[in-house]
Amino acid sequence: MKRELVLNVNGEEHDIEIEPNRLLLEALREDAGLTGTKEGCSIGVCGACSVIVDGRLVSACLTLAVTCEGKKIETIEGLAQDGELHPLQRSFVQYGGFQCGICTPGQIMAAKALLDHNPKPTADQVKEWMSANLCRCTGYYKILESVMAVVEGKVDEGGGDEAVRQARIQSLYQADTYKSGSSDS
Amino acid sequence: MSKAEKYAVLGRNYDRFEGHDKVTGSAAYVADVFLPGMLTGRILRSPLPHARIRNIDTSRAEKLRGVKAVVTAEDTIKKGWGVFFPDQYPLSVGKARYVGEEVAAVAAVDRDTAEEALELIDVDWEELPAVFDAEEAMQDGAPLIHEEKENNIALTIDVERGDVDAAFKDSDLVVEETFESVPQWHSAIETIGSVAEYSANGKYTVYMNTQTLFMARMRLATALGVREADVRVIQTAVGGGFGGKSCDDNNAMVAAILARKARRPVKIINTREEEFLAGSRPRVNMKVWVRMGFKSDGRIRAKHMRIIADNGAYSGKAPAITGVAALRHDTCYKYSDVRSEAYLVYTNKIPTGAFRGFGNPSAEFSVEQMMDIAADELGMDPFEMARLNAADEGYVSPHGNRVISCELKQCIDRTERMIGWKEKRAARKPNRGLGMGCTVHVSGKRHFGDYDGSSATIKMNEDGKAFILSGEGETGQGHWTAMCQIAAEELGIPFSDVAISEADTDLTTFCLGNYASRLTYVAGNAVKNAATAVKEILFDTASEMLECDASDLVSRDGFIFVKGAEQRSISVADVVRGRQFRRGGAPVVASGSFDADSVTQDALRYGNESGAYNFGCQAAEVEVDPDTGHVKVIQYAVASDCGTVIYPIGAEGQVEGSIAQGLGYALIEGIRMEEGRPINPNFSDYRLASMRDMPDLVHEFADSYEPTGPFGAKGLGELGMDPVAAIISNAIYDAVGVRITTLPITAEKVLRALQEKKRNGS
Repeated sequence: MKRELVLNVNGEEHDIEIEPNRLLLEALREDAGLTGTKEGCSIGVCGACSVIVDGRLVSACLTLAVTCEGKKIETIEGLAQDGELHPLQRSFVQYGGFQCGICTPGQIMAAKALLDHNPKPTADQVKEWMSANLCRCTGYYKILESVMAVVEGKVDEGGGDEAVRQARIQSLYQADTYKSGSSDS
Repeated sequence: MSKAEKYAVLGRNYDRFEGHDKVTGSAAYVADVFLPGMLTGRILRSPLPHARIRNIDTSRAEKLRGVKAVVTAEDTIKKGWGVFFPDQYPLSVGKARYVGEEVAAVAAVDRDTAEEALELIDVDWEELPAVFDAEEAMQDGAPLIHEEKENNIALTIDVERGDVDAAFKDSDLVVEETFESVPQWHSAIETIGSVAEYSANGKYTVYMNTQTLFMARMRLATALGVREADVRVIQTAVGGGFGGKSCDDNNAMVAAILARKARRPVKIINTREEEFLAGSRPRVNMKVWVRMGFKSDGRIRAKHMRIIADNGAYSGKAPAITGVAALRHDTCYKYSDVRSEAYLVYTNKIPTGAFRGFGNPSAEFSVEQMMDIAADELGMDPFEMARLNAADEGYVSPHGNRVISCELKQCIDRTERMIGWKEKRAARKPNRGLGMGCTVHVSGKRHFGDYDGSSATIKMNEDGKAFILSGEGETGQGHWTAMCQIAAEELGIPFSDVAISEADTDLTTFCLGNYASRLTYVAGNAVKNAATAVKEILFDTASEMLECDASDLVSRDGFIFVKGAEQRSISVADVVRGRQFRRGGAPVVASGSFDADSVTQDALRYGNESGAYNFGCQAAEVEVDPDTGHVKVIQYAVASDCGTVIYPIGAEGQVEGSIAQGLGYALIEGIRMEEGRPINPNFSDYRLASMRDMPDLVHEFADSYEPTGPFGAKGLGELGMDPVAAIISNAIYDAVGVRITTLPITAEKVLRALQEKKRNGS
């Protein structure tokens, strides 16, 4: 039996009718027409459907739509304001933080959730947090770089000299690799 | 980099053509296509690995409220399709040959109804004996999967060049070993899907996330029994391909058959489980025996390879993949006497298919370890041995591959420096080790019909902006951006003044699509040729407007100038308008074609398979935990020879992504099958590397120029993937002295090998 529901997504109220067993993912994509949130694994491990609900990062594929009534839902569609890309979006474009783009809305929402709580994470903290968002194209290097560029206020320096970018990638990886080398095994 | 400096647009980074759409969530993938009246399609799959279908009763399913169509093979023309052998059907005809095979399908108003209907379809199965191991399947008396294929052998290759027996006798060192790779799933974060429409005039329109648009159309037309022009395929945004979306599966065909019967649009998106069962066709699993002979100075003298490749239940592209595994790597080093035998064998498992590397990773997992084994036996430095044997400009492989540009030696030097080989070997740390390897790949391959080309059309808008019509399509690698750069460079207009079309079989000329690392080289040449033709038209009109000779004109930054008198100039926009808005006016539009100078290999598999070859060298430093067998990759170095780098961020992304997939293949990815059933068909058990798993990666591009490429460019997309597993294994051997010959290299395997080594007291 369908029930009426008001979902507040990106500050806008959506009146929808939905069965209680339906997922937030379906409500967003099929009822609210917000298809930016993607389905990847359907079991909450790939992060493609990451959205922010009341400030917390959740997998929309594991969240029942009815549990989100009265809560503030943020999706990728809400990030750009008046045609201006959010710094994370700009950074992903500048630093090539995506290829096929299917995981990108989830990656950006996950990064936003992190930066909302901790605007100055270390590269190690970003890696740990973002490890719940799988990407099959990039090897994650440019995703990490894109997020760190926002942290370091270097969004508009992207797309620059290859050697500079290479050095940045190395600095982002080297430090932690050696640090975690003994504890990880 | 020095060569890139002379270009206005090439070798520079721009915002990706479709970047804004992808970071705002507005890029439309196939799951985002919603059409009026659209139904949800679901597929009934075989629960058995090998079984005859006595009868299918769909009557109960048809009666369920909300069900609009139920289809079985009876709704099809029962005509087989397949690139090399037409052995597949959209829906099982007579019997099913693997768990997951499409048997029947339902279109209903929603997913729950469709799934309920699947449970109401009654299939009367007669289970048949099945076979899951390729070597068992080759034995006399093994169950026959396709009755006409004796011993289940789909394909046999046996070629010898030179005199291999004599060459082994002439060798100072002979080594041999057997290696086994593993099926690897593409695991694109987006599964395969399609939305099919059938209109009253008999035309199908299919939205697909395919990498190979026109091949999709060809196969749809074959299986549906219609002409090609009766099928329109439109490429949606593609959420990762890697070969898995190159149309060896049945998803779109089933959607089209349902749409015709229901007379409504039907969407079928594979679930993640379906993707593992019967979606993207995993990498062909191969068992590779290799014997190699060397001279005492390290030169390769002879090679004999025997491959048993597990085809799965249907053949797809596996015949070509097996051929690549057998022969391609002989283009990397200088060989004179080689023999390659290969058997492609049907088993009752998911059909295998194209995956980044296309047979090369299995071959390199074996041969690149043999090189390491030989270097060790000869007491040589592996880098020295690679340099000694490396292919170079003008090399012709024993199988006829003609190498034009080749910077393999430069890549070897760069990699040796980047990984710090000499320094680290001089100051060894316990349980740390280094490994290296080389790789070769093609830039397009002539094996689907006698064509290895591309075409594109460029039309100029009256505002001076160019629009490229191309049917090659974007799969995520940045192809569109690279093509816009090539067109902008050739036309002499800014990057921001070029746009490119989505791939659509009704609107673009025939294109083979995205495979064999072919787009930058093959499609890039076609786009460049189209731009040259458009520029000729522009210069022709400009010469009238500027009252000069067309040969005196140059274009730059959106303006056309008279050479030596640059104050005499006119904007490209004014030229386009000048040509269009006049009596007898005409548009500025032209097409360009390119077909690579490759040949179709003859019956003995001889012939230059590609227009250009790309090369690379890679090295790894690993640390092995002797107590657990855990392998940690400390640093990874890559040097790639892809000719001129057109779009640096895109090119870097190809390298980084290749290494990530290669490390997954080497260390963690694999699926466990029981009686032909994958028991971990999900991302929780089939693990992909995550951000924290990635090692420090250093990479460089060789200073290189391919004379036949567009502005000197050649392929790159697969090159990086090919040697990774061998290199990791070589590094593990260097670290702790155990040689792992099967994939994936799990901690368990390493630990077992270490324990055995200890027991043997070696």
